[in-house]
Amino acid sequence: MRGWDGLVSSALLGTERRPAHFDELPESIREQLGDGGLLDAAALATVYKRAGRKPLEGLEPLPQATGEDKPLPRRAAVRRLAAMLGGFQTAALGEWLRAADARGWGVPPEHLPALADYARGRSEYRPLVVKAAGRRASWLAELNPEWRFLHEAVADSNKVEIWTHGNAIQRRSWLRELRRRDPIAALEALREVWPAEVAPTRVEFLTLLGSELSLADEEFFEAALDDRSKEVRRAAAALLARLPGSQYGERMAARVRSHLMVSQGVLAVTLPSRVDAAMQRDGIDPQPQEGIGKRAWWFRQILAAAPLAASEPEYLQLTVEGCAPEVLQVAWAEAAVRERNVEWARALLQTKAATGNRIAELLRVLPDDEWVPALEVLRAQVDLAELVGGLPVPWPPALGQMVLDLLMKVGTGRKWARLASIAARAVPPEVLNHPITREPTGEEDTWRLRLVETLIFRREMYEELS
Amino acid sequence: MGPWDVERVLALAPDAASAKAGQSQANPAKWSEQGSSERAVWGLCQGSGKKPYQTIVDLSGPAYRCSCPSRKFPCKHALGLLLQWSTNLIAAGSEPPWVTEWVEERANRADRAAERAEKKPGEVVDPLAAQQRVARRMERVAGGMAELRGWLDDQVRQGLSGFEQRGSAELSRLAARMVDAQAPGVAGSVRRAAGVVGRGHGWPGELLEELSLIHLTVSAHARLAELPPSLADTVQSRIGWTVETARVLAEGEKVEDDWLVLGRVIEPDDHLTVRRVWLRGASTGRLALILNFAAGGRQLDPLPGRPGELVPGVLSFYPGVLPMRALLTQSAPRLPGPRPSGFTAKQALASYVESLAADPWNERWPLVLADVRPARNGDGWALVDETGGLELLPGVDPWKLLAVSAGDPITVAGEWNRAGFKPMTCWHTDRPVVLS
Repeated sequence: MRGWDGLVSSALLGTERRPAHFDELPESIREQLGDGGLLDAAALATVYKRAGRKPLEGLEPLPQATGEDKPLPRRAAVRRLAAMLGGFQTAALGEWLRAADARGWGVPPEHLPALADYARGRSEYRPLVVKAAGRRASWLAELNPEWRFLHEAVADSNKVEIWTHGNAIQRRSWLRELRRRDPIAALEALREVWPAEVAPTRVEFLTLLGSELSLADEEFFEAALDDRSKEVRRAAAALLARLPGSQYGERMAARVRSHLMVSQGVLAVTLPSRVDAAMQRDGIDPQPQEGIGKRAWWFRQILAAAPLAASEPEYLQLTVEGCAPEVLQVAWAEAAVRERNVEWARALLQTKAATGNRIAELLRVLPDDEWVPALEVLRAQVDLAELVGGLPVPWPPALGQMVLDLLMKVGTGRKWARLASIAARAVPPEVLNHPITREPTGEEDTWRLRLVETLIFRREMYEELS
Repeated sequence: MGPWDVERVLALAPDAASAKAGQSQANPAKWSEQGSSERAVWGLCQGSGKKPYQTIVDLSGPAYRCSCPSRKFPCKHALGLLLQWSTNLIAAGSEPPWVTEWVEERANRADRAAERAEKKPGEVVDPLAAQQRVARRMERVAGGMAELRGWLDDQVRQGLSGFEQRGSAELSRLAARMVDAQAPGVAGSVRRAAGVVGRGHGWPGELLEELSLIHLTVSAHARLAELPPSLADTVQSRIGWTVETARVLAEGEKVEDDWLVLGRVIEPDDHLTVRRVWLRGASTGRLALILNFAAGGRQLDPLPGRPGELVPGVLSFYPGVLPMRALLTQSAPRLPGPRPSGFTAKQALASYVESLAADPWNERWPLVLADVRPARNGDGWALVDETGGLELLPGVDPWKLLAVSAGDPITVAGEWNRAGFKPMTCWHTDRPVVLS
C-alpha cells in the first residue's frame, strides 16, 4: 500500500528522529485519520491492507487424473480400514485391500496418502496400493516423490516412450508388462538398450525375463554368460538352468553323467577334480561355502543346475559311494524346487532326505491337496510352524481346518504361540467361522486370545466387504 | 447417534498401556449380553474370576462404570466395549435394568447439580459483592490499558529498531502484566506480536500491524461508553471479558435452523486445547462458531455432529458486532447433510472483507469454496478457480485433499485467516471427508 513503508520506517527509527508523514497514504485513510498519530494511521492502513486482499493470479490448476473411480464399500468397511491405518490390527491391511479389489470396491481416496506412506517401506504392499489408488496412482506419484512407486500403474506397454524416457520404476513395469503380453518383443526391446545400461539395471531387467521363458531367449542368455559383470553372468546362468531343452542344460547333464554311475544298486560318485573355464562360464563358483569340501561343493552346484532328467528319483533309494549322500539330496532338492517337479518333491519328502532348508519350498511344489497328508507325516520330524510358515497364504481350507482343529485341542503352552500367530493370518475366509472362535478363552491365555481376536476381526472384515 | 471413531475411543485411554489392554478386550468371545442404546453401551465381560464384570459406558459424559477392581479410568473393559461398538460389533438393544438404573441415577445427579448451580446467584451470592468485584476489575483493566497506551507511545517515539534483541522478552513481560490487569484477551494479542519479532525480513511491518491493532483496542476501550453496544461488546471480548453462559442462553440472539457442521479445527496445547466447530444454517445461511476448551489433557465435549452432518437446533449467539460465537441448545438428532453450496475464490475473499468491515480484529473466517481445483503455489499449495486462487496455510498437510480431488473441481470448507486457508472438510462427490 502507498505510504505504508513510510509508516514502518518511522516506527523503526522512532517519531522523535523521523516524524511520521501521512501525505503518501491513500486519501480515504487520511480523511478518516483526522489528528491521529502513527499508530492510528497504521491501524487504519492495516485493516485496509487486510481487506484489500485479492485472490492469487496466474496459478495453473493441477491436471485432472484420467479414468473412472470404482464404487466404495459400505461405511462399516471403510471404518475398519481407517482403524487399521490407525494401528488397530494393521497386519490385516493387505488382506482388506485384496478382498476389496476382488469384489470390485475402490478405496476412499482420503486414505490413499496413509496407505502410500505405509507401503513406501513395505514393498509387498505396493502392488496393492497401486491398484487401490486406481486413476490416482501416477497422478499422486507425480506430486509426491516419496510415492514414486505408484508409477507402477502406468505400465501401458504400447507407450514406448516409457521404455525410452521413463524413470527406473516405469521402465521396469513396462518391460514386465510387455514380457507378459509379447515375450519376444520384450527380449528385442531389452537387446536394443542392453549395451547402454549399467550392470545393476542389466541384472534387474534380465531377471524380469524370468517369466515366459522360451528357447528364443537362449542365444541372448548364452551371450550374457560372457558379460563383464559377475552378477549379470550369475543371473544368466540361473535363467538358463530354468530353460528346458537348453544347451546349458545339456552341458550340465553331460557333467552329471560323467560323475555319476549306477552299478549293482550302488550310486557311485566321482567328484570333479578341478573347475575348468567352461564350468566357471556356466556359473560354477569355485569358492566353497563353509562346511563343505571343495570338490563336493563343485559337484553339488553342477547337480543342482542340471536338469533333473539327468538323474532318476529312484537314486534316492540307492547306497551312495564317493560322496556324502546329503550333498546329492540337497542338490536334487534345489533342482526340484527350480523345476517345480512334483514327482521329485514327493520322493524327497517321503524319503526324509536332507533338503537344506528347502522343505517348505518342496511342500509348495506339491499340489495343495497333498499338503495335509504330507504335513501329518513331516511334523514328526519338523516343527509344524516351521513347515506351514513357508506356505503361501491363504492356505487351502483343509489345511486351515486341520491347524485350527489342532490348536483347539492343545492346552495353553507357549510352544503353540508361533503356529497360532501364523494360522491367525493364513487360514482362508472359508474357515474363519471355525468353532475355536466360539470357545471361551481365559484372560491369561494370550496366544489363543490373539488368535480368536484376529479370526473374528477377519471374519467381520469379509462380511462387511461382501 | 452413530458409533464413535476408533481413534476417538483410543484417545479416551488414560495411557498407552491401557489403550493396548483395551484392544485385547475388544474380543466379542469374552463378552456376553452386550448392547447399545442412544445413551449407553454395556456388556458383561468374563475376567479371571467367576462372576463376569458389569461394564457400562454412559455416552453423554462419557462416564464409565465397571465392576472390575481396576483403578484406571476408563478401565480396559470400558475401552474394549467402546472399541467393539466403534467397529459396529455391538447391536442396538434395550437397556437391561442394571444399565438403566445407573444411567438414570447419573442423569438425576447431573440435574440436581444444575439446579443447584442455577439457584446459586439468588441464594448464595451477594449481589453487592459481585458488583464490587466487577468494579474492581474494571479499574484494573483501565489501569492496564493506560499502561499499555503509554508503552505503545514510548515504542513509537523511540523506535522499534533493536526490538529483535529486546522485543520478544519485553513483550512477554508486557503480556504477563496484562494478565495481572485481568485483560487476558489483550495479553494474547501481545503474545502474538511477540511471535512476529525477528521472523522473516518483513517482521517490522508485521509487528507494526499487530501493535496498531492493539492500539486500536486500547483507543476503543477509552471510548467504550460512546460506542454502539454491539461494538462495545466486541471490544470487551477482545480485552478478555467473558460473557457468562447463562446470560448468553437467556439474552443471546436465538436462531433456529438445521446447522450444517462445516468442519472443526482442534489446536492442542500443553495447557489448553481449543476446538472450533464452524456451522452454517441450512435455511438462514447464518455462520456460527462453537468454541470449546479443555484444560490439561482432559477430553473435549462430544462434537455436536460430524463434519457434513446437519444438527437441527437453536443457537444462542454471544453479543458482538459480528456475532459468530454461539451455544447450541435444544438440538434434535443429527442428520446426514448434503454437499453445501459455496463461493468462488473471489466471492469468498469478499465475504471475509465484509467481516473485517464489521470487526477489524476478526482473525478467522469460515469459507466454503465450490468447484476449486488444487494448484501448486511456490513451495506450497493453493485452491483455484477462474476468479483466482487462495493459498493453503503453510504447514497444512495437503495430501488428503489432493488425493480426494484428483485434480477435479471440488467443494472445500475451511478456515481463512490472512496467512492462508486451512481446509477442514471436503466433499468427495456427496460424501463429506474430514481433513483436519
